[in-house]
Amino acid sequence: MSSFSKSIALSTSKAILLGGMGMLLLVIGVFSLSKGAFEISPLQSLAILLSDTGWIAEAYTNQQANVLLQIRLPRIILATLVGGGLGIAGAAMQGLFRNPLVEPGLIGVSSGSALFAVIYLVLLPGLSSISWTQQVGLPLFAFIGGFIHVIAVYLLSKGSGKARTSNLILAGVAINALAGALIGLTLFYSDDAALRSFTFWSLGDLGGATWQKIPTAILLILVPAALLLNQSTHLNAMSLGEQEAFHLGINVSQLKIKLLILTALIVGVSVSLTGMIGFVGLVVPHLIRISFGADHKLLLPASFLVGAILLNLADLVARTIAIPAELPIGVITALLGAPFFIYLISTFNQTKS
Amino acid sequence: MLSASEIHFCVKQRPIVDQASLSLEAGEILAVLGPNGAGKSTLFKILTGDVPCKRGEIGYNGCPLHQLKSKQLAQIRAVMPQHSEVNFPFTAKEVIELGLIACRSSQPQKLLRDVMELTQTTSLQNQQFQHLSGGERQRVQLARVLVQIWEKKPFTRYLLLDEPTSALDIAQQHTVLQILQQLKDRNIGVLVILHDLNLAAQYADRVLLLKNGMIEACGPTTDVLTEKTLSKVFDHPVTVMIHPITGRKIISTDHFYRNPSQNINKAYYGNSI
Repeated sequence: MSSFSKSIALSTSKAILLGGMGMLLLVIGVFSLSKGAFEISPLQSLAILLSDTGWIAEAYTNQQANVLLQIRLPRIILATLVGGGLGIAGAAMQGLFRNPLVEPGLIGVSSGSALFAVIYLVLLPGLSSISWTQQVGLPLFAFIGGFIHVIAVYLLSKGSGKARTSNLILAGVAINALAGALIGLTLFYSDDAALRSFTFWSLGDLGGATWQKIPTAILLILVPAALLLNQSTHLNAMSLGEQEAFHLGINVSQLKIKLLILTALIVGVSVSLTGMIGFVGLVVPHLIRISFGADHKLLLPASFLVGAILLNLADLVARTIAIPAELPIGVITALLGAPFFIYLISTFNQTKS
Repeated sequence: MLSASEIHFCVKQRPIVDQASLSLEAGEILAVLGPNGAGKSTLFKILTGDVPCKRGEIGYNGCPLHQLKSKQLAQIRAVMPQHSEVNFPFTAKEVIELGLIACRSSQPQKLLRDVMELTQTTSLQNQQFQHLSGGERQRVQLARVLVQIWEKKPFTRYLLLDEPTSALDIAQQHTVLQILQQLKDRNIGVLVILHDLNLAAQYADRVLLLKNGMIEACGPTTDVLTEKTLSKVFDHPVTVMIHPITGRKIISTDHFYRNPSQNINKAYYGNSI
């Protein structure tokens, strides 16, 4: 129990920092609630949210309340959970692979999940038409796909000692291409409607958010994310190397399996809920390392919060830039993330040579 | 006592460590010497538990190595490997603090202060580990492994180091070995792989000479470090002298062959004369 509290314990300044990020997330959430095709002011949003307490800041119509509670609120909660999940999973994966270039989308975990999700929807329509299996079966399949892929990439990248980084990226490229082709092939043999949903899988979409999806997201994203927090000290030790972590008393193979399962679960479930949203898991941990250091005790929770903030902002842009149409959210994250990734590769090569 | 009996390790049927037996007592420094490729690092990794060895027995304080969980093992022994890379921007202090994972100290702050002072890393603590020089990194890593076993415990602990002085200048080399000497009265046994014969001659209590995976000699430093044994193990002529002040041996590596009975002298000088 003492090791548990030690791994969670934070200095006051770090706790204040995390509190600030949490506040920022709340503010952005409320702001985001009031923006969109249908006009609701921020005060009205607050009034609707707090209507149960009897506090009425400003009058609002029933229609406004419905739009806010049934459409926007679940969407924002989903964006928070998925963004946070991708952020923390990215941070944990980078720690596990000891490589700052790792990202769930880049190394093929997302496309692996998407592939299995598409296979489930297209090839097992009998299963997916029953509502309760759709709630559980789809995320489960996506998780299995992600898990298989992350293990495949891990083994491929371990192969020949020194060229690990390039192997890792190459393995990811190969697996991404393979999964993309297989998704296309699967969709080719399905109907026209499925073709449209290919966009959903490849670029991500929060538009399908409903309250039914929230319990799944809480159980299969928030809970694994909380379990990841508990591994922060061990991830710090892993940064020295697997051998050194073992010398410090850590059961390395057990830790690796734990991390692979938890991250694949978060990424797989996120993909099954919102499609592939790239670059959040790459950019967010980096921003935090550059600004506040590499200690996983701060990095992991901060990655969750900043990931949630970033995805909410991206979703806000996606929803409001071309009202009443919506951009796929992956377009926004990729527009921000791809240049950042190129910048990272260039600086990474400099520090290596 | 850390004991290894008849450990044998092969890669593709070629023995890397061949029937090696050794022991390490509390309060002694055992230096492991030998030419490149002698199997020093493999022997080291077998002793630390990194490489599982099927043949032979290794025991820490009488408990077989394979029965110890990594957590228990970390309370008994600390390891300083040759190279440690850190890919993320950790500060030196954060790296040193990792040593606390295993030790469950009641006064972690005091422990960190003492060790950082001893290893002269206090001034480095807020700098990024990646930006330190090779020597500074080695001192930070030494501080990390010392934190792991620094607090006095009722049982003997062991520190195993693989060339801890390779990136250090002469003053710092001596600082490191003097630190290792101070561990003696903390009920700690030290096994250290060294490249510098003179450091071993000055600081080691016992020396183990390894060649082609076999232990050529193992015993008190003065007994083992003789011209005959060293020349044989390193395939290179050496001269052993006595330091006029310390009385310890000094080893000079020669560029000529001194043994006339082998008649190599002539061959050596034949061309140049």
